[in-house]
Amino acid sequence: MKELTAQDATLLELVDRLLNKGVVLTGEATISVAGIDLIYLGLNVVLTAVETLEKSPVRRAS
Amino acid sequence: MTLIAHAIVAAPPALLSSDGLRGRRLAWSEAAAGLGLWSTEWAPDMKLERPDAIEHHRLVERICAAQPCLPVRFGTAFASADAARASLDKRSEALHAALERVAGKSEIALTLLWREGPALAEPTPGTGPGRRFMESRKAEFNARDSRRARADELVERIVAELAIERPLVWHETCTSASVAVSLAVLVATERALERKADLERVASGFGDVIPVLNGPWPPYTFARTE
Repeated sequence: MKELTAQDATLLELVDRLLNKGVVLTGEATISVAGIDLIYLGLNVVLTAVETLEKSPVRRAS
Repeated sequence: MTLIAHAIVAAPPALLSSDGLRGRRLAWSEAAAGLGLWSTEWAPDMKLERPDAIEHHRLVERICAAQPCLPVRFGTAFASADAARASLDKRSEALHAALERVAGKSEIALTLLWREGPALAEPTPGTGPGRRFMESRKAEFNARDSRRARADELVERIVAELAIERPLVWHETCTSASVAVSLAVLVATERALERKADLERVASGFGDVIPVLNGPWPPYTFARTE
């Protein structure tokens, strides 16, 4: 397992807030970032996918 | 045309530059209930990319610096300004209450990373593979429970030492093998750096974790209305 650095933690905390926090409004669409559906990305998934996000912009999470 | 939502504020809107995501127009949609939405005018066939998420964050920071705002979850899109207005009107009471709750406040994020992997008890020497497997599983469960208890203890100490009111703190523990605590505190914006330093002082006294402080950020964690 890749060891989490302070820089990773900062990025992951921010990504977690952008994708999982904030007001949820009706009528929202599930849009994907780098081919990965946003709404279904929890922090845990992001933790395992951080390298994927960095290196593989077209890979889709299953 | 699609609208990519950034933040909800009370009308009237602050004066902001018209630059939205990728330099596209930042639009204001005002609802009947005295609320409005800042969003970027977007082409339906354009895909959001990773850098757009960070740019959304910068836009939300800019909006929140200009007036109290509720960040909208990134990736939220509306087919039209009418659809956006209808969405705000439907929940105007809750949105006004949330805006009042976060007005003049910012979020500080604290992540505590375990310094070392969990301490696992060694299986009894000279035992068979079945017993070794069971002992090893038991050691893993014990280590997990022990870490969870320690993470809870760290949260309690932070909350107690900084005298943080419970509604102003949110936390999760052991969200991954590396993360002990992920914690957010809602603080008065003018005291944000001071509170951040307080958090750092307390967290750096814990020998078994590495503190990572972030913010002040817009109040993402405290903007929920449900």
